[in-house]
Amino acid sequence: MASLSPEERAALRDAVSRLLADYSAEADVRRAMETESGYDAELWRRLSDMGVVGLVVEETYGGAGAGPLELELVMEEVGAALLCSPLLSSAVLAAELLRALGDDDAKARLLPGIAAGTTIAAVALTGASGEWTEETVEVHVSESDGAWRLDGVADFVIHGQNADVLLVLAHAADSLGVFEVDPADVTIKPLPTFDHTLRLARIEFAGAPARRIETAGHAWDAVKPALDLALVALAGEQAGAARRCLEFTVDYAKSRIQFGRAIGSFQAIKHMAADLLLESESAISAARNAAARLAEGADDADVAISLAAFACADAFTRVAADSVQMHGGIAFTWVHPAHLYLRRARADAQLFGTPTAWRERFVEALEA
Amino acid sequence: MVDANAITDDALREDVRAWLADNWKGLPKALPGAGGAGWGASAELKAWLRTVVDARWAAPRWPTEWYGRGLSDAQARIIEREFAKVGAPGAGQDRTNLWANTLLAKGTPALKAKLIGLLLCSDVGMCLLYSEPGAGSDLAGIRTRADRQGDNFVVNGQKVWTSGAATADYGMLIARTDWDVPKHMGISFIFLPMKQPGIEVRPLRQITDESHFNEVFITDAIAPVENLLGELNTGWSVLQTALAYERSVMGEGARGPRSGAAEARGEEPLIALAREAGVLGDPVLRQDIARVIAYKRLNALNTARAKADLAQGTSSPVMSLGKLAMSRILHEEARVRTAILGAGSLLEGPEHPRAEDANFLTLNAYFTSIGGGTDQIQRNIIGERVLGLPKEPEVDRDIPFRQVRGG
Repeated sequence: MASLSPEERAALRDAVSRLLADYSAEADVRRAMETESGYDAELWRRLSDMGVVGLVVEETYGGAGAGPLELELVMEEVGAALLCSPLLSSAVLAAELLRALGDDDAKARLLPGIAAGTTIAAVALTGASGEWTEETVEVHVSESDGAWRLDGVADFVIHGQNADVLLVLAHAADSLGVFEVDPADVTIKPLPTFDHTLRLARIEFAGAPARRIETAGHAWDAVKPALDLALVALAGEQAGAARRCLEFTVDYAKSRIQFGRAIGSFQAIKHMAADLLLESESAISAARNAAARLAEGADDADVAISLAAFACADAFTRVAADSVQMHGGIAFTWVHPAHLYLRRARADAQLFGTPTAWRERFVEALEA
Repeated sequence: MVDANAITDDALREDVRAWLADNWKGLPKALPGAGGAGWGASAELKAWLRTVVDARWAAPRWPTEWYGRGLSDAQARIIEREFAKVGAPGAGQDRTNLWANTLLAKGTPALKAKLIGLLLCSDVGMCLLYSEPGAGSDLAGIRTRADRQGDNFVVNGQKVWTSGAATADYGMLIARTDWDVPKHMGISFIFLPMKQPGIEVRPLRQITDESHFNEVFITDAIAPVENLLGELNTGWSVLQTALAYERSVMGEGARGPRSGAAEARGEEPLIALAREAGVLGDPVLRQDIARVIAYKRLNALNTARAKADLAQGTSSPVMSLGKLAMSRILHEEARVRTAILGAGSLLEGPEHPRAEDANFLTLNAYFTSIGGGTDQIQRNIIGERVLGLPKEPEVDRDIPFRQVRGG
């Protein structure tokens, strides 16, 4: 994957930041999260026009051909603005899975639409446990007369209800495969999510016709890089969101007056803020480091990615939780944005595996 | 001697290399235990430093009248890099020598002429006389007094947490010289001669059972007025200059285990320790181990990011977080080491090096979380200077120090 120069990267970040300031302000987020699709199609088009949706797609297929470094930076802005969109599921997970599988026909068929934002793709992998492991895939495939059919259930499918195409992990008799499925051939049940800015669906397969996506090696070998890139993107989102959340919390502590002085002058509040700065800045460092190690293809990329996975999840959760506490009563109301960040933090922390699981993986990677 | 604008980077690099090739022959290995605290320099080292100073490599950023070359920071770093390549000490002192830098910035011409050269050659022992039993976090609350008598100050009081006091020739002292103004405005900064009858040094026994620090009792000790740094009663701002130099050379990390027991090379020490103790499979300990290693790595990443920002000319808020982060690392690592050992941590002594490590680190972690500004003071600094939160009202800030409560 090609990388942009530092200047180009800064320009990209600024452009995304300005776009989101204009179209993903708090009122926009609240409007989008109450819609059925959960995102603003007009903003999605603008993000596509800017090249954000096709950021990591190869240029051959209409993408920008950028890599983890650029994606992570953009995701910091995405997290800060609590953008509602299928970016993670379609533009990161699905796009990178297709690239890694390496089926040229499938890439030519699907990637241009994904890069242009006109096709929303979702990856159906997780079962009822919500774990991103090979063993927990609950969909099975059968073949008769050269036709593939899928049976089983995929749960917690990110933006599954908005998908124009589904990429489904399924067990065959002897191996795992990735299959392209038309959403019209399955039953999709939107799930009620605690984080209203997120969309999840349960997808039931009952003899659904499927098209096999070819891959040279084992299908899970293509899931791994897709998941790695999604983890880097999510880490960036968490770090950017934590930083923004701390910013507005500190601003409030400067302006809220009790006992005749700004509450930020009390050490009880000041010390919490100092601790949160350490958390949010550490999250930024962890996310950028994971992006850099992945971009380099470093041997220890797994260490960096697992570290970012739990460090950024823990940091964002703590910052968002303490933000509510530091605001006091005002943040216990629906109209205040702090709970939107807390909801996103709690969702992000579970999306690709729990922080506890990632700590375990971190130690395993260090033992190796 | 050398015009800063006249020399190119390449020419300078060649000059340094040629000079090092001609002059640097290495130093004899330090004897075990010698120089560990960094206060005593060997005769060979002093002789080498003299050579470096005479050749104007020790402080090239400084002006030519004070051992320097008036070079830019970038060119000075070329010299430092060449010295580092061959392992020769003595370069970069215009960045790292706390004593000489403070003296150059604020000293009288007479004191500079007398001491700066000696300081660059480590030929004069120094110590810090800042903290007092009654002025810890609130350093501006010092009560050691310096009273003018003729051409001297007469100093009385008590200082604490002084390293190297027993061997020092001078102490950098802050003392109160005006009791009728608010506390920050009546302090002066003085080079106090330590080898005189009015100075009594007593070692402090720390909770680790080590003695790295002293109490210093000062009774009618004399300092000539030329030893005053900055103007009378501006000592607080001189102190800020000195502290800035001190901070710039601190923070390369804290002490590790003192047992010296071998640890598997390349592996994380906590993983090695848990493996050795047969508890590496314990899922609860594995979570704890992951947290501590993460704290360490995140701190290293933060520091690297701050340095990269600094190199690009933008200051980073991350720089100020390192000390607070290190406190947590040290306390948490000691806690997890103890958890790994379990009942083994009940013991001490040379037969039980792992317990020694865990127990020592548990106690020595306070060196970082209290010394050089407690974690609580550090959080105030981060909150106020980095995040811009307002200060607490201070009841003693604007009243004459004479009326301020102590205790």
